[in-house]
Amino acid sequence: MSNEDHHIAGAAVDVPPDATLAAPGVRGWVRRFRALRGHALVLTTQIAVLVVLLVSWEIATANSKLNAFLFGSPSAIWGFLVQMWKDGSLITDTRITALETLLGFLAGNVLGTLIGLTLWYSRFVSRVVQPFVVAIGSIPIIALAPICIIWFGTGLSSKVAMATLSVVVVALITAYKGAMSVDVDQINLMRTLGASKRHIFRKLIVPASLGDIFAGLKLTAGFALIGAIIGEFMSSSAGLGHAIFKAGSLYIIPKVFAALVVTIALALCLTYVVGKIEKLLLPWRPDL
Amino acid sequence: MFGEETGTASEVIANISITLGHGEVVSIVGPSGCGKSTLLNLLCGLLPRTAGEVLWYGHASTGMPKRVGYMLQKDLLLPWRTTLKNVTLGLEIHNMSSRERTEKAHQLLDTVGLKGFHDYYPSALSGGMRQRVALARTLANEPEVLLLDEPFGSLDFQTKLVLENDMARLVRSQKRSLLLITHDVEEAVSLSDRVIVLTHRPARIRAIHEIDIDIDRTDMMAARESPNFTDYIRTIWSELEVERQT
Repeated sequence: MSNEDHHIAGAAVDVPPDATLAAPGVRGWVRRFRALRGHALVLTTQIAVLVVLLVSWEIATANSKLNAFLFGSPSAIWGFLVQMWKDGSLITDTRITALETLLGFLAGNVLGTLIGLTLWYSRFVSRVVQPFVVAIGSIPIIALAPICIIWFGTGLSSKVAMATLSVVVVALITAYKGAMSVDVDQINLMRTLGASKRHIFRKLIVPASLGDIFAGLKLTAGFALIGAIIGEFMSSSAGLGHAIFKAGSLYIIPKVFAALVVTIALALCLTYVVGKIEKLLLPWRPDL
Repeated sequence: MFGEETGTASEVIANISITLGHGEVVSIVGPSGCGKSTLLNLLCGLLPRTAGEVLWYGHASTGMPKRVGYMLQKDLLLPWRTTLKNVTLGLEIHNMSSRERTEKAHQLLDTVGLKGFHDYYPSALSGGMRQRVALARTLANEPEVLLLDEPFGSLDFQTKLVLENDMARLVRSQKRSLLLITHDVEEAVSLSDRVIVLTHRPARIRAIHEIDIDIDRTDMMAARESPNFTDYIRTIWSELEVERQT
């Protein structure tokens, strides 16, 4: 009897803190509407800032040939974008750079994450490896570009190698950090449940590190692109880096900016996709 | 006799000998920082001992003993697993088939009063509910001995009472042994057959009280209303108070 009483009390006390997860009632919709309105406000402000910047840029360069030559102008940049689209170079260059970036991004992250996570297994090995990782991580990536060209040639593979190199150390460090920051009590609990080291690795360390790994993925999407562009700067016959380099050498400033705009768009796309995948794979996390 | 241990580690724990009998509920109270948690971690082999021994069923144990359930103040639920999957964690490790463990986890969630919450992620549950899931996860491995380190420490009074009741009911009806570490004297007295009071670091046993409350031991309110209850509380409090001042 008394137990039943307490169960009723228990039900009254233990109400989930986030009511929207239990039942999306009117309050849930109101909250969603407010969130949406907040979103819209941020977006509008961002667009306004961009428009103001572009208009002042246009005005500042409109009355001076020299300024227009030195700084380009939004209208000239747009003109080059249209031209690049029409002659097909926009698509080919973007496709090549995107491919280099993506391959390097994948290779670097797979390699770095695998090494970073496995270092969790052995405190000894990780301590031995640590100074080497720091040393490799401190090499300016641009210094490796000529070597990459010599080793891998002037084609796709040298750029993929550059992109991989700019990603791998960061991926390694974030994955390792994620693995090492798992709560000791959590590991102890797994041990009392009878888990072996392999169990702990698979059921606790890897999923617990996913948050850090995805933070690394978002970070390294940009790094991979930078690596690929640097590779194209050194020696290439196509790609956005190639377009930037060529236009720069010929003093066609607006075309440099046009290629840069495409590069930025590419980076944003990549980060966006990674974010989407993160949401799909880590559904338990609250919205970031 | 079910098990006996004598833990001695310089500075933290001095000469202590505690026996936990089969089906017994024993609480350990002591001034904060006296090494209660260390004692518990030694018992279940999470910490290496510098001296002394732990006997399970009269046999010296090295490393992790089997059939032990361990629960802390932190619920330590895995945020990427649903309630159900958190409960099945230990069963997965012991290679129980998927169908069997799901069935068992559903049953356990029913017994801890969380029917219908199997698909929730921990982030959507209240503190009390999360601790219930942690209890279900601990019970899933059918432990004969439960080692609990302030399991209700972070809960509000009302939730705590309800959970203590449920814990007492589950442990006593299933004849499991329970060693509870707590700083809450009322919790210790109302729940246990025996309360052990520890001294300051290095921890020694200051007193052992056999709790003789002549009522249903799964009703925490009734225990609190029994005439002896306040005497026990007062005695233990004064012992702890002396420890605080020395």
